Amino acid sequence: MILNHFQTMVIFALAVSLVFAFLSKNTMTERVRYAVWAFLAFLVVAIGIGWLMYPFSH
Amino acid sequence: MAETRKNPINPALALAAAVAGWLVPGLGHVLLRKWDKAVVYFLAVATLALVGLWMRGNVFSSNAADAFDMLGFLADIGNGIFYFLSGTINPAGADVSKAAGDYGTRMFATAGVLNLLCVLEALQIGFGSKEEGHAAG
Repeated sequence: MILNHFQTMVIFALAVSLVFAFLSKNTMTERVRYAVWAFLAFLVVAIGIGWLMYPFSH
Repeated sequence: MAETRKNPINPALALAAAVAGWLVPGLGHVLLRKWDKAVVYFLAVATLALVGLWMRGNVFSSNAADAFDMLGFLADIGNGIFYFLSGTINPAGADVSKAAGDYGTRMFATAGVLNLLCVLEALQIGFGSKEEGHAAG
């Protein structure tokens, strides 16, 4: 299977966010809010750390 | 704030749900009639496990060489049926010489750990120790 790193990260973040939301929240509204928040947090933190490490790759 | 309720205690059903949920992700919650959770847990764990295997991630065996391999095995075995079918799903085996294989290893282990969390939740629900809102499935 050929996936680039970003696609892999999106799949990972989506799956983990959904499971965490359903494990920790009771109502559907809370779950959606938590899943969206966790998904975006995964992406933002990963991309942020990637850019922080970028100078060390040169 | 959502109104919460506890489920009646049923140890036999809780244990059956835990074993079923480990073997087939989400099946434990089907036994507990938590339909929405069952679908989400199955799709999430199956997606991570299958993508991890298709990316040629490493699947750890029980004869671990060191403590880290044993931890990897404990995480991987959480996948249940996906662990036992890993050789069929990815007959080419692991290839961690590329970054994709390394990511696949992590995704498969993550799927296993997530499924173990779902199994623990099934036990909690079965033993009546988890409060759930009325909106929960």
